[in-house]
Amino acid sequence: MTNTFRVVFVGGLTSYRALFGWISPWIFIPHTLGYPIFEILFFAYLGRFAGVQSDQFFLIGNAFLAIAVTGMFGMGHATAGERRSQTLAALLASPANRFAVFLGRAVPSILTGCIVAAMSFSICAAILGVHVDLSSVPGLLLATGASAFACTALGLCLGALGLRGRNVSVFADVITACMLVVAGANVPLHLLPAWLQQISACIPLTHGIEAARAIANGASISGTLDPLLKELLIGGIYLVIGLAMLRFFEYEGRRTASLETF
Amino acid sequence: MIAAILTGVRLHMKQASRNPFDLSGVVVWPILYASIAYYLLDAKHDPKLLLSASLGAAVMLMWSLVVIASSGTLEQQRWQGTLELVVAAPTPLTAVIGPICVGGALVGTYGIGATLLWGALLFDVPVSIQHPLAFAVAIPAAALAVGMLGLIMAATFVLYRAAFHLGIATQYPVWIVTGLLVPLSLLPAFVRPISWLLAPTWGFRGMQEAAIGGTPWPDIGMCFVLSVVYLAIGGTCLVAFEYVARARGSLRLT
Repeated sequence: MTNTFRVVFVGGLTSYRALFGWISPWIFIPHTLGYPIFEILFFAYLGRFAGVQSDQFFLIGNAFLAIAVTGMFGMGHATAGERRSQTLAALLASPANRFAVFLGRAVPSILTGCIVAAMSFSICAAILGVHVDLSSVPGLLLATGASAFACTALGLCLGALGLRGRNVSVFADVITACMLVVAGANVPLHLLPAWLQQISACIPLTHGIEAARAIANGASISGTLDPLLKELLIGGIYLVIGLAMLRFFEYEGRRTASLETF
Repeated sequence: MIAAILTGVRLHMKQASRNPFDLSGVVVWPILYASIAYYLLDAKHDPKLLLSASLGAAVMLMWSLVVIASSGTLEQQRWQGTLELVVAAPTPLTAVIGPICVGGALVGTYGIGATLLWGALLFDVPVSIQHPLAFAVAIPAAALAVGMLGLIMAATFVLYRAAFHLGIATQYPVWIVTGLLVPLSLLPAFVRPISWLLAPTWGFRGMQEAAIGGTPWPDIGMCFVLSVVYLAIGGTCLVAFEYVARARGSLRLT
């Protein structure tokens, strides 16, 4: 157990520090913050043009997408990066717990994602003139945590695919793009076709965003327990699927000797 | 040199069209942005607005592919250790990187077909092009101009190894200030002069005017003028930044 925690935290910290050996903070920070800020502004202005929903609707939806992006890409890139640098086979040959290894790489990026989401939310709220009551902050943090968990669990599934395929980043990109529409971040769910609404109910983020919007509009945490619990449940299901996929694709990668293919 | 450029464009287009996974992204992204616009605008009474949204989403993809193609290819070459060889080759770097950018923009034209088809099939967007000849000229003109704008970006990518992230970060700002889905009249006044300097503005307007009826030729002309200006700026920047990267010995750093 101690070893597992060491792999998660020490491994994750080392990996995160290595990131800054590769990319200067002067590029990392503007890039990481700039992308969600401009994304929020883009959709908020599109909403104004279309005359649907408030700026707050797009502010919350897209700030939560920033969490999804980091959660999914953090886990997805954990395997893709190892494959690219030809260290995946060596890593899988080690006796360390697989989930701990990849979670360790994902946790710092998930935390970064939450911080980035909070900062871009605040900056864009100031630019767009959106006021969110301070009393809703704890509830928003709770929704953030639940969404980060669910998106990371989905990211684990994508990361597991990275044990088998080379282009998992492109796939993660497409999934994130679909979430722009299906998770209700930018399009009110009632405008979507019924079959798409059913899909949106089964993916991470939909219920997290729903809870966050309700909380920002004055609902209490107890009043939004239903969507929050649904978000956590969906995260739990994807976590189980992701762990099973991780095991299966590692076995397949060893069997077909495809771990070093790039 | 011309042969190198034409071969480069053809090669990069073929490479980008080989991978079904990458192609799925090329098709899915503009469709999703167009869908968001269709759902939000709900402009059944104004089909021209939806047609404009389709074209705007396609030009958005064009710009994305230019930055992804140029930054991604340079990053890939860094990882493979071939960037120094490309830089050391007698062919000017502009003739190597320019085709990557233009090739990316031309792959982006797949998005035009995808969004128009998607809109017509699912959202009843009427696809009637008022000036077919102008539309046929506007597409490559837009691709060329957007590709050449990418050349300026690519110059910085030679210098920085975090090129890919820099490239990705420019997507939304350019989409916003060029008025592809959101009219410039809704944005602060200082955005308008910036939009005049950016190729996607004119490329989109050229296609839009040709499609819905208007005067597309001045916009198409601006695409060609800007292409020449970008080529001059991008070429100069590439030479300068290549010199700096050689002096620092940073070409190979991954």
